[in-house]
Amino acid sequence: MNNKKRLNRLLKFALIATCCFVASARGEVVIVVPADSPISSLSKAQVAKIFLGKSRRFPDGSKALPLNQSEGNLERDAFYQLVSGKSPAQVKAHWSKLIFTGRGQPPREAPSNNAVKQLLTSHRVNISYIDRSTADESVKIVVLK
Amino acid sequence: MPNPLEETKEQIQIDTTSSEKDNQNKFIEPQVFYPAVLIVFLITLWVTTFNIISTSHQRTRDSAITSATALVRTYEAQVVRALREIDQALNVVTKSYELNDDNTMLSLLNEWDLLLPDFLFVTSIADADGNVINSTRPFEKHRIADQSYFQQQLEFDQLASSQPWQDPYTKVWKLTFSRRISTPAGDFAGIAFTSVEASYFVSGYEESQLGKQGVLGILGTDGTFRVRRSGQKIVSGEKANFNQLVHGDEELEELEELEELEVRLQDNSWDQIKRYTVASQLYEFPLAVVLGLSEKEQMQGAIELKHVYLLRASAASVALMLLTIIFLRLSLQLKQSRNQALEEHISHAKKVEHLAFHDSLTGLPNRSFFSQLLSHGIAEAKRYERRLALLFLDLDRFKIINDTLGHDAGDELLKEVAHRLSEALRETDTVARLGGDEFVVLLPEMNDEKQLSAVAKKILCAVGKPFHLAGQDLRVTVSIGISVFPIDGEDEQTLVKNADIAMYHAKEGGKNNFCFYSDELSADSLERLALESSLRQAVDRGEFVLHYQEKHDLRSGEITGAEALLRWQHPTLGLIQPMQFLPLAEETGLIIPIGKWAIEAACKQANKWAEEGLPPRCISVNLTERQFTDAQLLDDIADILQRTAINPAQLELEITESLLLRNFERALKTLSRIKDLGVRIAIDNFGTSYTSLSTLDKFHFDTLKIDGSVIRDIANQPSDKELTEAIISVGRTMAMTIVAEGVETQEQAEFLLNSSCDQVQGFYYDKPTPPSLTNARTNE
Repeated sequence: MNNKKRLNRLLKFALIATCCFVASARGEVVIVVPADSPISSLSKAQVAKIFLGKSRRFPDGSKALPLNQSEGNLERDAFYQLVSGKSPAQVKAHWSKLIFTGRGQPPREAPSNNAVKQLLTSHRVNISYIDRSTADESVKIVVLK
Repeated sequence: MPNPLEETKEQIQIDTTSSEKDNQNKFIEPQVFYPAVLIVFLITLWVTTFNIISTSHQRTRDSAITSATALVRTYEAQVVRALREIDQALNVVTKSYELNDDNTMLSLLNEWDLLLPDFLFVTSIADADGNVINSTRPFEKHRIADQSYFQQQLEFDQLASSQPWQDPYTKVWKLTFSRRISTPAGDFAGIAFTSVEASYFVSGYEESQLGKQGVLGILGTDGTFRVRRSGQKIVSGEKANFNQLVHGDEELEELEELEELEVRLQDNSWDQIKRYTVASQLYEFPLAVVLGLSEKEQMQGAIELKHVYLLRASAASVALMLLTIIFLRLSLQLKQSRNQALEEHISHAKKVEHLAFHDSLTGLPNRSFFSQLLSHGIAEAKRYERRLALLFLDLDRFKIINDTLGHDAGDELLKEVAHRLSEALRETDTVARLGGDEFVVLLPEMNDEKQLSAVAKKILCAVGKPFHLAGQDLRVTVSIGISVFPIDGEDEQTLVKNADIAMYHAKEGGKNNFCFYSDELSADSLERLALESSLRQAVDRGEFVLHYQEKHDLRSGEITGAEALLRWQHPTLGLIQPMQFLPLAEETGLIIPIGKWAIEAACKQANKWAEEGLPPRCISVNLTERQFTDAQLLDDIADILQRTAINPAQLELEITESLLLRNFERALKTLSRIKDLGVRIAIDNFGTSYTSLSTLDKFHFDTLKIDGSVIRDIANQPSDKELTEAIISVGRTMAMTIVAEGVETQEQAEFLLNSSCDQVQGFYYDKPTPPSLTNARTNE
């Protein structure tokens, strides 16, 4: 029994490690805001709060309009892992509960890095995340404290 | 005959019983009391414990029911709201589509945030043929015409929900909701539908409220669980008995705002877990919400509490039992010791009483008890006009027996006599010992002289049988005097006195005899009274004189001292020898002043001789028993020594052996004190009676006087010679001065000289003479 459990744990660990490796190989997720945003740095916790529906505002008091990438995008999974340490399933359960119990609405979603950038530039949203390699001058990368 | 002892016994018994009663009132028997208290305590303890347990169970049950009701209300509201949101969002889609069937419409609505969140929902549109023509995600299915949510919309225009279905790729259970799209004419133009994971509807499951074994779910009226969650386990598509769970009583559906929900404790059919289960059917949808709280989880606290209480109660019970046992033990011990103390008290009281009323030697009633018995007997006899006889008994020659066989033997004899007397008499008769060798017998209802004679003879016979004492058989006789109430006296004193007189008469009449009292006898006893009164006068008048018999040193022949001998110079009767008046003086106690006078007179005489120029002489004076035991003796001697200023070593007091035997320890004490005064002590009449040589060892006498009877037959009896020699040798060993008395012949004197006797006295040398004569002789 114990051996089996240990083996399972080992396998899980290996899987997570592989995912992380793949993600990092593919690239690194960065938090981005519109190029003209006053926000330049945020803590992981502040970001996580915004993207888990626990806060609607930036630390300076201005309204936060978060944008998620679509379900299944690697950036989304990597992002949540990065800021909150939650797995996609945990994030989904979290939002299910919030929506079902009427406590919040999840961020809007964009299907790709480019769509994210477009939406940010249009100021329909003001914070999201993209693969570092796709970042350009149209957006500002937020320094994670 | 009432017996004071009996009375007192009764009193004591009354006392004890009353005190026992008190005890019973104060304390019920501890072996009943403590267990009873224990049982009461135990019953109270356990009843309380079970009450607390059942109350706590009931409270827990109530709180489970209350919280299940509250939780199901909340859940119902959440489900209804979620369904309405879905309905609303689909309505927006259908209405938009009916206005403008543009394919970009969905993304537009999405951009406007009019659709259900992408995060969970996939919204699609199908045309009238069931072909999916647009979706917020890549199409999951392309044809849905066969699906229930499509079919339903063909007929109704309202939100329809699907059975749960499993995503073939992700294996996730989903639910689909649909609404009809109509043409402007109202014909069926297709449906808008949205799919969401079934788990969405149970995402509100809180373990803090529902526990790990609780249940939260949505059940269709068709009996299929859309979704059901217990802890982290989420299941869809399961069958359950709708009616068994939902108790919407259609007939009784009064227009109450919120009908009562019934929480039931039941084994849930799907997982066989017993839960407080409650279900509520939704008004707008063919669904019901189900909620359950596991009994085991809800009751866990109460059960733990129950275990704690049971454990505590058990511990307390054991402690109580132990305490009870300890208390019981202690109180039983206490009771026992109390009883013991009581018994000791009683037995002590009895003993004291017995001692007070009985003679310690024979166990017979003593003088004071007898006196009570007699006065009581007299009173009774008076009342019933009966006669009462009193027998006064005196053992003949008891003194001799006591002196020769010793005190212990004398006591033995008295005991045996007492025993024989008791045996010889009836139970109603009373035998008492008045002291010494005097016994009295009280015969109630005795009026016939013949009968009395028979009794007296019986007594004489009983006492006359041989006794076996101190290793030898001997015979004792008794003299009996009889007086009868009321003839011989109507009061106690007279009766006793007259019986005593009769007894004396019997003694005079030859002993071993009995004698009835008569007035003539009384006259005889008057003689005695006369003697006594004249003896008393003699003391006052100084009618006593001392004669002296000199003691000679055998070797030198010199006079070393003299023995003072008492004589009564009666004015009419002339010189009376001591044996004629001494017993009476001893009996009446007159010997005390007489003896005192004698010692003083002797001391004065010694001084007188000294004044006359004679060499110092040692004066010997005899002490009688009464004198010797007199408490004043020492003071008197000291007084005399001081007054006469005589050298104490010149005074020698002579005591007989028998005197020592009465109370040896006390006698030794008295002797030591006398000796402490410097006065010499001689043991007199040595060799005449039973003497233990160890007596000599216990006290150091200054002088040993061999009795005249020992040396009387020295000439003829070799054994007497040997005895004399033995006594002398013992005396010498003990460094005593040995004086031989009663030396009457030259033969005896020579023998004594040869036997190394120190001094002699006797007729061979001189007869006791008044001091004047003594002087004359010495001067010769």
